[in-house]
Amino acid sequence: MSALRFGYGTNGFANHRLGDALAVIADLGYAGVALTLDHDHLDPFADDLPRRVDAVRAELAGRDLGVVIETGARYLLDPRRKHHPTLVSAAEEDRAVRVDFLRRAVRIAAELGAECVSFWSGVLPPGTDEATAWQRLGDGVSAVLDEAVRLGVVLGMEPEPGMFVERLSGVEELRARLGDPERLRVTLDIGHCVANERDPVAECVRRAGPLLVNVQLDDMVPGVHEHLEFGDGALDLPDALAALVDVGYRGLAAVELPRHSHAAPDVAARSIAALRGAAWIADAQRRIREKPSSIRTLFPAAGRHCGRGPLHPAADPAGVVDGTTDDAARVRLLAALGRDGASEVANLYRYGDDAEKRGVLRGLSIMDGVLPVDIGLDLVRDALRTNDTRLVAAALGPYAAAHLDQHGWRHGVLKCLFVGVPLAAVARLDERADAELRRMVADFAAERRAAGRTVPADAERLMTDHGGGS
Amino acid sequence: MRIFDPHIHMTSRTTDDYERMYAAGVRAIVEPAFWLGQPRTTVGSFTDYFDGLIGWERFRAAQFGIRHHCTMALNPKEANDPRCVDVLDVLPRYLAKDGVVAVGEIGYDSMTPAEDKAFEAQLAMAVEHDLPALVHTPHRDKVTGTRRSLDAVASSGIDPGRVIIDHLNEVTVDAVLESGCWMAFSIYPDTKMDPDRMVAILRRCGLERMLVNSAADWGRSDPLLTLRTGEAMLAAGFTEDDVDTVLWRNPVAFYGQSGRLVLDELPGFGHAAETFEGNSVLRGARAQ
Repeated sequence: MSALRFGYGTNGFANHRLGDALAVIADLGYAGVALTLDHDHLDPFADDLPRRVDAVRAELAGRDLGVVIETGARYLLDPRRKHHPTLVSAAEEDRAVRVDFLRRAVRIAAELGAECVSFWSGVLPPGTDEATAWQRLGDGVSAVLDEAVRLGVVLGMEPEPGMFVERLSGVEELRARLGDPERLRVTLDIGHCVANERDPVAECVRRAGPLLVNVQLDDMVPGVHEHLEFGDGALDLPDALAALVDVGYRGLAAVELPRHSHAAPDVAARSIAALRGAAWIADAQRRIREKPSSIRTLFPAAGRHCGRGPLHPAADPAGVVDGTTDDAARVRLLAALGRDGASEVANLYRYGDDAEKRGVLRGLSIMDGVLPVDIGLDLVRDALRTNDTRLVAAALGPYAAAHLDQHGWRHGVLKCLFVGVPLAAVARLDERADAELRRMVADFAAERRAAGRTVPADAERLMTDHGGGS
Repeated sequence: MRIFDPHIHMTSRTTDDYERMYAAGVRAIVEPAFWLGQPRTTVGSFTDYFDGLIGWERFRAAQFGIRHHCTMALNPKEANDPRCVDVLDVLPRYLAKDGVVAVGEIGYDSMTPAEDKAFEAQLAMAVEHDLPALVHTPHRDKVTGTRRSLDAVASSGIDPGRVIIDHLNEVTVDAVLESGCWMAFSIYPDTKMDPDRMVAILRRCGLERMLVNSAADWGRSDPLLTLRTGEAMLAAGFTEDDVDTVLWRNPVAFYGQSGRLVLDELPGFGHAAETFEGNSVLRGARAQ
């Protein structure tokens, strides 16, 4: 299915012994690790380094794990100043410490058969002019490159938000200044692209394309450099993975969550599930674009590949209001259908099980303009005739808010109160609620009270809220 | 006692049954597609029924904390009615669905050429869709019917380890034991098998590849006879672990071969109801 090889960064397993971390990562089904050299993970300054390197090499081979070397340890070179010194530090002897470390990393990479050594530029000391910074960086990288060329190792430079080289364009400029060295390529952190690049993620991947030697995967929100689990930020993971497949990337794509070590095994398990689901979606979308009828077998399979849990478990444990991961996956498949495939939609619903029907209903609003409204409304009305709470909830999304007649819509809302669907599931409720709906709800409440039953809080709120239409 | 009933027709049962089943320990079931008592006359009648098995009935079971799965097929009795046979053309669409864990019930009713044809075609579909098969053995001329079923299974090329031969009894079990197929027994109030006779068969033939079901439907039947069989096993000296093998682990192993079993606890039931995001103390109100 997916040609991508997923890995996990050992800096996200900082509370594990390296051997234990490799075992957990391999057992979860990852194909490799991004190994951050650190004080207790293959310390490059240890007296018995050769023996340790041999042991790690054997362990990686035994578990069939690929490896890239990461060099972003926080306090490895200076116990007091995080990430210090760097390639752009002011003092020459400080820069030499970083260069020496990176050359050690290159030698370890050669011994381990690592796919690359990844590094960043460093934060520029205040008051340093740009020409000086490029000079320092160029000199340092050249010295590391000499060792890399000698040992046949590839370097991947990573743009890091807040550092001197913080965007892909900076790596491109450094390469140009050094005469486009063959062994100086790019490490791309997909989350950084969301947070800090000017181009969309897929465009960054395409630009880096032939130079890409290492990929880090994590979620972020624009403007904030904080590594998040997949789904907690703004990253479109299936799109990012599709872009990596499109540029023919064959290296490791390793999860980079250095602040999640406290729950590493659980986070790593959730991450690989999210990656597999997203890779499946990306592949399914490609197949549907090529041949729309392939959605007939892909649509039923979404839950098996992407999971079926609620999208927001804390607020909506049954997935009634916001839907489930398979709902979201199915909406993505519908998005790939386009105009040519719109004729598939009614049959996906007709022959769908409860989950597939829900997926169609939640996808109607993105098919608006492609799918004739009378067909879409037929499906909404069919769902509103059922007593399946999840279908009723999914039917009253933005599509019904935009198109369903007022009488049918009011009865849909009342049905929610009857069957226990939270009114949070009803799109544009306040805007469409009118006096007639309030009368119906008041009668419903009176009937409940007459029978000695409680009135749902949602009904009370609707009756007292006089905003919206009348 | 946790119970997986691998054969029960819940479409014909009431919510009272669901409540009693949950209270008795039933957490998962398989509902095979079968006939409805009243003969069908059109393909549309089948598809509405199939839709119910993967839609309404699954939802209904979930309201009572029970994971519902199903098997899909044209049953042997209605394979004889030319008005029904075209359902075989739409069947592949349903065999792709989540929660569809086998092709079934297929097999023989009166052993007619039409039944041969439908049986053979549907065994081929099981192979093509990588699904197990559930074979119903006939009520009349049972020994002959069981032998013919095993012959059809053998010539289809399906792995016998992916086939259940159902509704067995003292006179049909040995041939199936030898074939490598799984052996299923329907425990009924007064026909087919009863709990004590079942225990005797388990003593004689062992627990491997053995399945016990209630096959409860619209006729005289009892969804709790799985529980009664477990109790009879304990009374006869079998261990709790033996009972778990027959009433849970065996059906999970067999239907797990489909790759489509879902056995997570349903939201609002069991341990999940007492925990919140992995913590044992409830920290937030559960939305209803």
